[in-house]
Amino acid sequence: MNATAARPPSLQGKRILIAKPGLDGHDVGAKVIALALRDAGADVIYTGLRKAPGFIARVAVDEDVDAVGLSILSGSHNELVTQTLEELRTLGAEDIPVFVGGTIPADDQSTLRAKGVRGVYTSEIPLDDVIASVAELLS
Amino acid sequence: MSDETSTPLGIDRRALARSLSQVVRASVDATLQDAEVSHSAAPRIGVTGPPGVGKSSLVARLARHRVERVAPLAVIAIDPTSPNSRGSLLGDRIRMDTVADDPRIYIRSLASGQTQDGLSDNLPEVLATIDGFGFAEIIIETVGVGQSEYAIRQLADVELLVLMPGSGDVVQAMKAGIIETADVIVVNKADLPGAEATANDLRSVLGRRRARSSPPIVLVRHDDDKGLHELSGMIDDALAKSVRSGGELERRCRFNRYRVHMLAVRRLSEVLGSLPASRFAEHPAIVYRDLLTRLIESPRGRG
Ligand code: B12
Ligand SMILES: Nc1nc2c(ncn2[C@@H]2O[C@H](COP(=O)(O)OP(=O)(O)O)[C@@H](O)[C@H]2O)c(=O)[nH]1
Ligand SMILES: [Mg+2]
Repeated sequence: MNATAARPPSLQGKRILIAKPGLDGHDVGAKVIALALRDAGADVIYTGLRKAPGFIARVAVDEDVDAVGLSILSGSHNELVTQTLEELRTLGAEDIPVFVGGTIPADDQSTLRAKGVRGVYTSEIPLDDVIASVAELLS
Repeated sequence: MSDETSTPLGIDRRALARSLSQVVRASVDATLQDAEVSHSAAPRIGVTGPPGVGKSSLVARLARHRVERVAPLAVIAIDPTSPNSRGSLLGDRIRMDTVADDPRIYIRSLASGQTQDGLSDNLPEVLATIDGFGFAEIIIETVGVGQSEYAIRQLADVELLVLMPGSGDVVQAMKAGIIETADVIVVNKADLPGAEATANDLRSVLGRRRARSSPPIVLVRHDDDKGLHELSGMIDDALAKSVRSGGELERRCRFNRYRVHMLAVRRLSEVLGSLPASRFAEHPAIVYRDLLTRLIESPRGRG
């Protein structure tokens, strides 16, 4: 993006699934993140809108992704994250790290982390920092 | 390498998915060590054509239709790697929603990687691995860059070229290219105006060539199954013909020829990449000879 900035962390060779669980129609953030991850070198698969947690977990397994990023702006993050983690566990894929972005109130962020979510990113965090954090998580 | 369970519908998808990642990432040396010699290769259908003509949507519908007869079925969907970031957005899958939940169908998205031929790095090894898991058919969607995709011809038993109404300019540009090698030409999105005209353009371009019998042309649209069923029948005919004409040995030789070719190409770029930029200040003949020596030297990875 800005050419003079410090070299962005590389996600080269990492496969990342960006998914939108539930009935949430806000997809701008998910697309912004998908493009930013690609620009940092990742192979990004985007599920499209309104996917069931079970569907997301099956795609994560079939595509052998290194991480799943959920984008949730509906307010139903607690339920949807719990279900997605559960579905991954059912498939024996609880080792795939999950991170979450969107409108997540501060109080819920620690709840999500306690459930096993590796990182929570809201729109206050600059995009470059989000990508750097994800890259670090996966290195 | 993997604890595969290859009863037709009980494929260990996690093991398969992981094996494929390994195979895609493997260096040439690692590939040579682990290369599977596939003896019973599943029939392969290659789907090519410019971006946006509806390849992914069509592949999904074809898979859903054919899996009733040939199961399990694998789909390999390739999208381009960005030359700048080396990253990719693998978007084919979004169009394949309707079949992604079918346990008889396995879909894998791949980035093209270093390969410039419309396919993906290590694709022959990917296909051999899938064969090892007992699939009955494989559909491969290429990057779809237009005319430079002779490569799919080497790997696929049947090659579909997908176009759409208004692809007329493309047809003109392609007349000496891929249009000659396709086994079936699909005029997709036939619900849009101009489908018949495009089919006629194709017929007239093909009519001017004598060397090879013309591929059949079929009109397909997403809101009607008639064309799809017709297309599936043409695929069956073309598969039967390709087996009859060459037989299993010829098929394996063609596959392995491309496989060896790609390994050599990759080795070359590995070795080139290991030379410091300053070496190229020397006379090309000297560097070239040194390069050849390094090529046959014992294993030497990148970096
Ligand atoms: C634009 C917008 C819409 C558009 C959406 C268009 C679209 N196609 O996306 C429209 C007008 C359609 C819409 C509709 C609705 N909206 Co609205 N909408 C917004 C708004 C103003 C901005 C969202 C946005 O696009 N932001 C820009 C992007 C870039 O930011 P972002 O999504 O947050 O993503 C960033 C980070 O969160 C993070 N991120 C996001 N996802 C991910 C994923 C990963 C893996 C990572 C690492 C990071 C990450 O990175 C991004 C870049 O920094 C927000 C308010 C707000 N300021 O957030 C409300 C908001 C999200 N909407 C809201 C509501 C209630 C609705 C409606 C229900 C309204 C209604 N009553 O009809 C409907 C429901 C629509 C539906 N079907 O779901 C509420 C949600 C409340 C809640 N969570 O409890 C909000 C918060 C407004 C509010 N304050 O009440 N909305
Ligand atoms: N009108 C019409 N649109 C179609 C048809 N098939 C696919 N599309 C649309 O064409 C666009 C590109 O489709 P996609 O399958 O991604 O094409 P690809 O890039 O060749 O893989 C999408 O918006 C599809 O919805 C069809 O039969 N008719
Ligand atoms: Mg496509």
